Amino acid sequence: MTRNKTIREPVKLKKELKLTPGYLLCAIWAIFTFLLIGWTLAASLVTPREIFGGDVIGTFFERLLRFDLVFNNYRLAWGAQNLSRFFLNSVIYVTISLPLIIIISAPAAYALSRFRFRFNALVQGLTSISMGIPAVMIIMPIFSLATALRMTGTRTTLVFLYIGMSIPFTIFYLLPFFKNLPSGLEEAAAVDGCSPVRTFWRIMFPLAQPGIITVTIFNFITLWNEFFISMIFANDAQIRPIAVGLFNMVQGMRYAGHWGAMFASTVIVFAPTFVLFIVLSNKILTSVTGGAIKG
Amino acid sequence: MKKFSRILALMLMLAMVFSVAACNGGSTTAPANGGEAGAAGGGAEYDPQADGIEAGASLIYWSMWSEAEPQAIVLAAAARAFTEATGVPVSINFNGRQGQREGLAPALAAGETIDIFDEDIDRVTGQWSDHLLNLDDLVNGVFSDTDGQPFRAKVNSGLMEMAQERGGGTFTVVPYQPFVFTTMFNKDLFEEAGITSNPTNWQEFLVACQQLVDIGIIPMTVDNSYIPALFGTTVTRIAGSERTLEIFENHEFSDPAILRTAQVFEELITNGFMSPRAATNVFPEGQAAEFAAMEAVAMYLNGTWLPNELREINPDINWGSFAWPSIDAGGAGPEAHNIGAQCFGINVNTNYPNAAFAFIRWITLGYWDQRLADDTWGVPMANDAVWPVQLQDAEVIFASTTDRLPWAAGAEDDPNVTAVIIESFQRMAAGTINAQQFADNLAAIS
Amino acid sequence: MVGRKNKRMIVLFLIPAMFIYVMVFIYPVLRTFVMSFFAVEAIETPIAAWTFAGLNNYIGLFRIDLFNRSVTNYLTLWFVGGIAVLFLAMVYAVILTSGVRLKKFWRAVIYLPNIISAIALGTMWINYAFRDNDGLFDRIVEAVGGQTPVMWTGPYMGLWSLLIAYCFGMVGYIMLTFISGIEKIGDEYYECASIEGANIFHKFFFITLPLIRGVVRSNIVIWTVSLGTGVFAWSFMFSPTNLTLPYTMPPNYMREIIFGGRGSAVVQRDSGAAASVGILIALLVVVISVVSSLITRKDDVEM
Repeated sequence: MTRNKTIREPVKLKKELKLTPGYLLCAIWAIFTFLLIGWTLAASLVTPREIFGGDVIGTFFERLLRFDLVFNNYRLAWGAQNLSRFFLNSVIYVTISLPLIIIISAPAAYALSRFRFRFNALVQGLTSISMGIPAVMIIMPIFSLATALRMTGTRTTLVFLYIGMSIPFTIFYLLPFFKNLPSGLEEAAAVDGCSPVRTFWRIMFPLAQPGIITVTIFNFITLWNEFFISMIFANDAQIRPIAVGLFNMVQGMRYAGHWGAMFASTVIVFAPTFVLFIVLSNKILTSVTGGAIKG
Repeated sequence: MKKFSRILALMLMLAMVFSVAACNGGSTTAPANGGEAGAAGGGAEYDPQADGIEAGASLIYWSMWSEAEPQAIVLAAAARAFTEATGVPVSINFNGRQGQREGLAPALAAGETIDIFDEDIDRVTGQWSDHLLNLDDLVNGVFSDTDGQPFRAKVNSGLMEMAQERGGGTFTVVPYQPFVFTTMFNKDLFEEAGITSNPTNWQEFLVACQQLVDIGIIPMTVDNSYIPALFGTTVTRIAGSERTLEIFENHEFSDPAILRTAQVFEELITNGFMSPRAATNVFPEGQAAEFAAMEAVAMYLNGTWLPNELREINPDINWGSFAWPSIDAGGAGPEAHNIGAQCFGINVNTNYPNAAFAFIRWITLGYWDQRLADDTWGVPMANDAVWPVQLQDAEVIFASTTDRLPWAAGAEDDPNVTAVIIESFQRMAAGTINAQQFADNLAAIS
Repeated sequence: MVGRKNKRMIVLFLIPAMFIYVMVFIYPVLRTFVMSFFAVEAIETPIAAWTFAGLNNYIGLFRIDLFNRSVTNYLTLWFVGGIAVLFLAMVYAVILTSGVRLKKFWRAVIYLPNIISAIALGTMWINYAFRDNDGLFDRIVEAVGGQTPVMWTGPYMGLWSLLIAYCFGMVGYIMLTFISGIEKIGDEYYECASIEGANIFHKFFFITLPLIRGVVRSNIVIWTVSLGTGVFAWSFMFSPTNLTLPYTMPPNYMREIIFGGRGSAVVQRDSGAAASVGILIALLVVVISVVSSLITRKDDVEM
């Protein structure tokens, strides 16, 4: 990865000049992204009337200079609507689901990527197809099943579905990571008297770590933002995760006209993913680009 | 594995931080509202035994409101006060409209314990009718809080009639938070334009529009969500309400009334009486930005809930309403409006019907009915309640409405038709199709 | 290579995943498949009340303009959006691997939109970017001398606006996979080419592109698969209360007929037809995935 180390590299005018179009394109994207996010931040700190008045960013700076930002929006968003409870629910679901997803998917991906057996192609095909099945298609039967088992509106059902929905993608994503590991490892371990199961957990699993971390981050983002399944299955307000909470709040605040608070709640929901991303982005992104998918 | 466990640790840390936050949030909000409930002593003194409230009763109420809405805040406070007065605990599940529509039916089918639920009256009496307890005896009953009269005599008779009608002759629901769908307008802008009396027919309406345009005000706007209602209501002013319902039910879009309606809109659009943003407004852009924030638009055909929806944006609008004007002879007039309501139903499987009905009375009579109307700028149920100042005009329209149209006069019953109406209208507002093409688009619906 | 011990291990390792597949995918899909041939009113209707309807659900669907439009919208978004996203992602991947400074920063920024929930991002797009006259896009158009308002959320531009908003969130995701592919290509290829005097375009067309065909295929599949579930929330944001022609998508149509529309008097529910929509969406995804892998597999380069 010599090309990554550009920080100390002396400025070569000719080279930088050639890269100008590239910088330009990157800058356009960055400016646009920051405008969108900045606008939301600004909207979360002004009054509803100002939001619809047209110049949100201008009003924001005016208020900023007068030390008159509408922080009440945040109080409204956090206090009145049980946002904290939804938040906690999501944290619980994610904390339980993410490790379980890996514990189920990683061994399966390993078995599928490194061994030839009769149903291998079938299971891999099933994995790809499962990824393509939209959630809307499976909710009806699962709901009936949950109804029959009297499990609608329980945390267990939700977590089970979160795990279930994430597994195909996780397996799919981990396949090349295991496949690309050196081929002699199992034999070497076997010679040392290590059982296949132990070989996996002790040797192969740690080696696939970059992929496991990355896919866990992806799963985190997906589950944190997931709202379709939750909307149907979390029909008890006590167990709602954050995305459904946000959705309900967005709806409710639309009807109630609390637009500032609505944007404040989107910021609150977006914040943890953003912070996590900033803290871990380097790790996430390098491990993605570290060589997962077959070139 | 090290990095992975670090992520896990981070997540656990987050979990702890937020669980602490969650506990704080929960404990601070409860007493704040609790104090309010204590102040609500205005409710009638209650003798639970007298009204047959079952011993050991407790109620679970699935509500269509979202927690953020003023309705939900009042209902939650009312429930606490009810518990204080009767000793019956009420737990409310605020599902929001979406959550209620999607979650309630399966939950009822699954046998979940739900005593009371609510939603739009058409949906409750239609889609969920199998789960409704017959309320005939209760509605006609005399209780400690009904001043010696039967309950139904204490509340809005028009709405009770409607409830009975929707229940196929029997009472299965009790309406509340009723609305009328009519012209909501900004009185100050009318005054500025020198419009002295509310238009009653189309000629007067067009004159008023011109007066508004003359002072630089756009007469009307609409959001994509309300286009079908605007369209349907206008068809009734041309074809009469009975014929309108037939047209939409049987897809008879070659009816000349459709073309005529399209021409009416075309006239509004070409004269600049309809905001050009009607072509692009995604709800609530039109009502929130054009009507309330910028006060650039004077009228919006909408429900009486509009002042409440817009009050955070602009609480100072001087609200008025007038009946959507008559257009053609033979068409409907000010007597025909879409009137609707939310309504309470009691689950047929409830163990505590009397307690549930006591709760419904608690909300629809006396202090809490008035409080709900005041806090939500909404329409009260009880006959002796006072309407909020924003709806003073609407009260007259409400009382004079004898022909209760269904939602959008039927124009929004079929999603396929709805979508064509919206798109054609937007295209006309954008100036790219004319009335004939509008009518052709509808006639082409298979 | 598969010894008895290994066999036991394989079975052990696959059982939990297979259990999930059966419970969450195979059983529901089969049941939905069966359901699509029955007239079923509501999601909670018991099987005893299903009546066989043959292909009526499917035939009925294609008679409904709104459904047909949702399919056209979906395919347009898949094709045009797919080309745009793959193209942009490729461009940014090439830029970021060409030795630019602040690479990590750019990469994070371009990926950022992907982590924001559609509910939050959608509000920004509609209320800020696409707003008539004073919105960001109209301001830009005005600045370059175009005619405003463009009416981004109107009846003509609607689908394209949704496409722009949706694709914006996807470019970063697809880009990451491209970067991973490009970085696996050894530096020596490029160094060699540089010595030979190749410019950046030569390098791209003669080295990068041929060597990352497999990644292109993966990305087509990822794009197709994520569209099936991802587009739902976007369509919903652009058309919050009822289905409108420019924005309607099959999953949204499906949801409408499962639960009924907004507070209208007649709530039409048809879970049987909804099941057919589900089958059709899934079929589309499978067909596209298979076709795209067939097309690119033929001349796949092994590295």
